Amino acid sequence: MREKVAEGRMRVSREASMLDLLVKYAPDFFHGMLVTIFVSGSAILLGTVPALALAFGLMSKHPMVRYAANLYRSFWRGTPILVQLLVVFYLLPVIGISVPPMLAAILALALNTTAFQAEIYRAGLQAIPYGQIEAARMLGIGTRHVRWRILVPQTIRLVLPAIVSEIVIIIKNSSLVSVIAVTELTRVSQQMASNSFRPLESYLAAGVIYLLICLLVSVAGLAVENRLRRQGAVSL
Amino acid sequence: MTTLDFIATYGPLLLSGLFATLRICFFASLIAIPLGLVVALLLRSRRAALRWIARAYVEVMRGTPILVVLFLLYYGGPSFGLVLEAEPVGILGLGLYGAGYFAEILRAGLQSIAQGQIEAARMLGIPAAHILWRIQLPQMLRLVVPPSINQIIVLIKESAALSIITVPELTKIGAQIANETFAVIQPYLAVALLYWLLIEILAALGHWLERKVRHA
Amino acid sequence: MKPEKNDKALIQVKGLRKRFGEIEVLKGIDLEVRPSEVLCIIGPSGSGKSTLLRSIAFLEAYDAGDVVFDGKLVGYRDDAGRRRLASEKELNQDRSGFGMVFQHFHLWPHLRVLANVTEALRVVKKIGSAEADRIGAEMLGKVGIAAFADKYPEQLSGGQKQRVAIARALAMKPRVMLFDEPTSALDPELVGEVLGVMKQLAQEGMTMLVVTHEMGFAAHVADTVVFMDGGKIIEKGDPGKLFAAPESDRLKQFLNTWRERSI
Repeated sequence: MREKVAEGRMRVSREASMLDLLVKYAPDFFHGMLVTIFVSGSAILLGTVPALALAFGLMSKHPMVRYAANLYRSFWRGTPILVQLLVVFYLLPVIGISVPPMLAAILALALNTTAFQAEIYRAGLQAIPYGQIEAARMLGIGTRHVRWRILVPQTIRLVLPAIVSEIVIIIKNSSLVSVIAVTELTRVSQQMASNSFRPLESYLAAGVIYLLICLLVSVAGLAVENRLRRQGAVSL
Repeated sequence: MTTLDFIATYGPLLLSGLFATLRICFFASLIAIPLGLVVALLLRSRRAALRWIARAYVEVMRGTPILVVLFLLYYGGPSFGLVLEAEPVGILGLGLYGAGYFAEILRAGLQSIAQGQIEAARMLGIPAAHILWRIQLPQMLRLVVPPSINQIIVLIKESAALSIITVPELTKIGAQIANETFAVIQPYLAVALLYWLLIEILAALGHWLERKVRHA
Repeated sequence: MKPEKNDKALIQVKGLRKRFGEIEVLKGIDLEVRPSEVLCIIGPSGSGKSTLLRSIAFLEAYDAGDVVFDGKLVGYRDDAGRRRLASEKELNQDRSGFGMVFQHFHLWPHLRVLANVTEALRVVKKIGSAEADRIGAEMLGKVGIAAFADKYPEQLSGGQKQRVAIARALAMKPRVMLFDEPTSALDPELVGEVLGVMKQLAQEGMTMLVVTHEMGFAAHVADTVVFMDGGKIIEKGDPGKLFAAPESDRLKQFLNTWRERSI
């Protein structure tokens, strides 16, 4: 392909400016960006509750539960996302489930982010003074309620910065789903590159858009953090 | 084919892919760590312009997917005179990308050393390079080793993306075997297990190193 | 309301032992608490006072002996002659007559003050919101901080936080209140407001088991004072007699250091 690019640059009229190109492909990039956001967002949201459950599993009293939780975490944190994506994508039809590529992509990313979010939540849970749990136990509050009404609300506020980082990571990793033919941002830029013979401009455009999305997420994260802090409910 | 047959037939090929991955990540780290150190020093520079450039570099690398970086270098490279084979491009891309992350790790490490020590050394007339090498770096090790090992592990995982620009590393080998045999589960699972093994070993090595450095 | 001498004991501790690893922290404790009795446990650091209180509350699983509350064994069940740990549900039942106040308050920072007090009412007793809020407001009023119902714990002083903790425990209508060094983490000026609430509770007839360094409280409010050292009860009795005429050397020593400090 790179040989074609070299030729293409000579053939394509140099009159087609960067601006013209961007205008022509803007709708495609916009659509690709939406798909990226949708895929990333779905994966993150899907992974949140299982991640909390996994975090409790990692700290469980039962050795078998802990072992299983550790195994899950170890695998999904210890293998590349691309490989996870390919395994999920090719495994599903084999066991009889046929899903569109986008769903397979969201599922793989969700399974992945569950492991990473679990680690984040676990650290947060362990930072909460144990006395709060004892006070709850003395009042007769059961484990389920202690976890979901006392521990989880505090944990989420505590680990918000780390979760924002994880969101940014998933957004970047979503670029890999282009290999299973999901038309997200990276795939759009690939299409533009091969159609226009202007790979530099195409990939730069994609890079800039990713940067903007990640920047927006970070800024939004800071804003949420500040609002929670002003509510006066984050101190330990 | 049965699992045993699979291992016998494709084992050596997969192992060669694993070594390719190791080799690539090794060289990428050779770029990423020193470059990261340079950027970290720039981040702490007194000249605002240098700090700004360094910060821009870090934010770009942290906000851009590795795949886009690789595409830019590999497919966009010829447009600005960079024509390299796939593997060198991969190493370069991974190295530049990793440097952005190492810069943050090393910056935090540099910051952890009390300014007073550096000022005392300067008052004694010791040159800056010497201060870096003999006073700052040795003390930083304790703080810097765990996240650095972690970052190397991240690089190994990110290196899988190199398969997309046709570098014959572990993931690409897996894809090739899948193509040949039309059996997709075995090759990709094998690839996953090999990465897993590699990373578990590295993580264990990291813990050992961490403990050694803590008691140094 | 002074407890009668022949009232049946509400809490009975018999031969209680507890070790942490190699160290035996409780070396055979025998204790009784009667209804409406205020019992203060005093002693030097490391004497095992807190461990004793926490073992009674079964926040620590004691190794040997019995803790009997209202005639029932706390924390364990006798299963065909062998003792097994109570399940979470059984343990909740065992503890349902206790209310506990901790040295570091342990309020839940993400909930407002009123919510802290009503949480257990809603979740455990399944009381509806309106009723729970009413009871909560009543309890906050009782300890003198009704005005803070809508604030978050971090906006309160230490003494106010501890009073919220007391209200939170009282809301569940316990039969016994356990206090684990309730004023030790407070600035000196704030100690009085908490002790005042505790004295009021005592006068209303609440059964109280208090681990404390506040000798004044022990001397004036307690019905019985227990002096512990090295995991054992050294002396036990009426505060007037104990403070004025200590029998054991260790108690004499302990009281001397306290007297010197308060000068």
